[in-house]
Amino acid sequence: MERLGKSHLKNKLETNINQSFENSSSNISKNIAENEQFLKNMFQNCSDIIFREIMIHGETKLLLIHVDGMINTDIITSNVLKPLMYGGLPQGLGTIDSIAQMFEQEVFSVLPIKKLSNYGDIVDHILKGNAAILADGEDVALLADVSKFKTRAIEEPYNEAVIRGPKEGFTEQLRINTTMLRRIVATPKLKLESLKVGKLTRTDVVIAYIEGIVSLSVLNEVRKRINQIKIDAIIESGYIEESIEDTHLSPFPQMDVTERPDIVAAKLVKGKVAILVNGSPCALVVPMTFLEGLQAPDDYYERFLFVSFIRCIRYLLVFLSVVFPSIYIALTTFHPEMVPQELMITIASLREKTPLPTVIEVFMMEFMFEGLREAGIRLPKQIGPLVSIVGALIIGEAAVNAGIISAPIVIVVSIAGICSFIIPRLRSGYPFRMLSFPLLILSGTFGLFGLAIGIIAILIHLVQLSPFGTPYLTPVAPLITHRLKDLFIRWPRKRAIYTGPDNEADQP
Amino acid sequence: MKRAGKLCFVWLLMILSTTGCWNLREPDQLAYVLGTGLDLTKDGQLQISIQIVIPSGVDGGQESGGGTKEKSFRVISATGKNVYDTVPSFQAQLSRSLFLGHRRIILIGQRLAEHGIGNLLDEFIRNPQSELRSRIYVVKNGQAKDILSAEPIFEPFTPTELVRQQATLGLKRYYFRDFLSDALSQGLQPMVPTVRLTDSKQFVYSGTAVFNKDEGLKLVGFLNSKESNYAYWITNRQTTFTITSIVKQGNGNVSLKLRSLDRRIRVKMIDKQIQIDVHLTGEGTILENNTNLDPTKRKDLNIIQEELSQTTQKSIQKMIKKVQEQYKTDIFGFGESVHRKYPYQWKTLKQDWNDTFPELDISVKVELQSKDPGETTSSIKSIP
Repeated sequence: MERLGKSHLKNKLETNINQSFENSSSNISKNIAENEQFLKNMFQNCSDIIFREIMIHGETKLLLIHVDGMINTDIITSNVLKPLMYGGLPQGLGTIDSIAQMFEQEVFSVLPIKKLSNYGDIVDHILKGNAAILADGEDVALLADVSKFKTRAIEEPYNEAVIRGPKEGFTEQLRINTTMLRRIVATPKLKLESLKVGKLTRTDVVIAYIEGIVSLSVLNEVRKRINQIKIDAIIESGYIEESIEDTHLSPFPQMDVTERPDIVAAKLVKGKVAILVNGSPCALVVPMTFLEGLQAPDDYYERFLFVSFIRCIRYLLVFLSVVFPSIYIALTTFHPEMVPQELMITIASLREKTPLPTVIEVFMMEFMFEGLREAGIRLPKQIGPLVSIVGALIIGEAAVNAGIISAPIVIVVSIAGICSFIIPRLRSGYPFRMLSFPLLILSGTFGLFGLAIGIIAILIHLVQLSPFGTPYLTPVAPLITHRLKDLFIRWPRKRAIYTGPDNEADQP
Repeated sequence: MKRAGKLCFVWLLMILSTTGCWNLREPDQLAYVLGTGLDLTKDGQLQISIQIVIPSGVDGGQESGGGTKEKSFRVISATGKNVYDTVPSFQAQLSRSLFLGHRRIILIGQRLAEHGIGNLLDEFIRNPQSELRSRIYVVKNGQAKDILSAEPIFEPFTPTELVRQQATLGLKRYYFRDFLSDALSQGLQPMVPTVRLTDSKQFVYSGTAVFNKDEGLKLVGFLNSKESNYAYWITNRQTTFTITSIVKQGNGNVSLKLRSLDRRIRVKMIDKQIQIDVHLTGEGTILENNTNLDPTKRKDLNIIQEELSQTTQKSIQKMIKKVQEQYKTDIFGFGESVHRKYPYQWKTLKQDWNDTFPELDISVKVELQSKDPGETTSSIKSIP
């Protein structure tokens, strides 16, 4: 019964939405009163929509419609209202076309302007911050883009800090974001295809790519998948990501998400496709490969020797962050002969007083660590440090002193935790955090054998993944030898030649 | 996704079918055996002693301090028909199961060694738990049990101390598995380091035990620590040792610490008579000079090197004579050298190599070099 009610409600909602859009697909009429009535019906109870009627010489009636707070009132006042009200319409212009021409040539000469006759288009534009001007006796509306509203300033992206490199990040405003991209890649080959997604929100989505470099199969796949999206609302780019990703059942992210225009630009140049969504500072870049998630933007800005060193450390520690607790369990409880004798005796002596099995201990600590980490993100800045104090003191000190948790386990879990912090893109660390738990269970029940099975399972999964047709482990499997230069080491780029042949002597 | 499900199923099956790997043992369920001692009791029974760790007695780096400190190990013994026969008796005394994976040392009492250990080795190879990287020692004039019970000086356990001492003495690693391979190879007799207990219950390294594997791996005699240095030099088991000798021309003695030891064994066969040339070289540093010679001068240095080489050569010749005549076992592996050089003749030679060895014509040449005269020139004594 309840189900029925729900589906009924849903149907009703859908028909409502569809009805309003069905009506809106019709064209406006020449009768301004009719148009006004229609639009007022549509914007019923929308207190932020302003209808402004203007009479010129008591003859021609104009109607100005806009969203309050979304347009630049100065421009409207000085460029629209003043000339119309005080200057008035020149005498002798009888025809409808001429009025439209007058608007374009004289009144709105500085503004981008559109002539539209479809209700739906007009409403769309009004809601995006255009001012609509309808004239009596005309079946065309003029839409002037005079949008102006408060947006967040361009700031440094908090989640993707760099030591070296540009500090600006995307904002919620799509136009600003595309501008940032265009400023970096100043070529007509940078294409920004615009789409509208979401039945209700009609969100602007831009597919960015560089013509001639982009892989056409990926581009077509992106276009196809975005066009197939049937969803009412797009609030954030995550909605798009979830709608077009290859599989939801993988712990690994299949799209690169970044707030940094420099990253997007660098990936576009490499032939990838970016999806920018209005209202979200996070751009999606496809296709993503596994190793890209472990690379920081600084890797390409800093000198290559240091970068190569850091990369090796990073890969090693990322591996440790997943398997270190599991290795500890497997070695101490299944294969004590593999631990050096002195170390094993020390571990045994430290474990002597603790009542719980090693697996349970590690599990508890990992569990608490994940809890602490999650708590730390959401807490206000003032009480954030409290979490670490409680975590370090209560769990680190008291639990060990009380003999509930053995000291090596605190060390092991902390090491694994620190290792997981080294992943430069927060998001790429999520799968490792998740996967360490099944590995714990496997190694706690079957020792190194279980751990090996778990790692093989993960590898099989990684090899199977191929988001947008690109294998996830790309430079490694399938092996692309020349791209290995950007794996453990970042091969230095060729030196640019700064001087012409005349100044050859100046070259070092 | 269906494929992944199927794969999961396969893994599950694999895991279920291989539950033989199920051997979860928490660290506090194990009795770590650090050392095993084999003895022959007076009534002719095999007695095995093990040293086990008591983890709560090991200082884990925190607290403790005051109060009576628990002992970090305990030695328990049991007798049995063979080596593994003692395990149930051990287990009857312990609440934790024996763990041999960290055994550092195997000690053999002198009485048992003289009786022969050839028929006791099987368990050490066959038992999958057995650690073959244990070091092996023969206990001179005593029982293995007493060494295990001795109080160590630095380490919490005697076996670790004995193992570390080997490195300090400049001995190369000689594991139980090396002993086994020596005992099973041709043309080479095993020799095993020896330890003895002093009256003050301290263990002391005291040379080498010589075995004869052809008679059930019986102990045939000992070499003192100086002699064993030479023997190890010839068999390439020594990395460094010190020679102290009188230099007559300088009217005093000199100590030379040798670091890079090398050996070369040449085999010649002249009219079925085997002749073996042992060429030993060593480089080192003069650490003490009580002569009136100045080692920074080429002429004086030559005198020192010459005299040291000569006396060492004589000692080595004496040692080889002793082994040839007294023990009659080829601990130097000359048989192997012959085997390598004359593989066809070896086939007939190997049958009575033990009889041939004492008759061998062995010449020794020692060349010692001092690369570094030390921090000073001539001895303080000789400066007027």
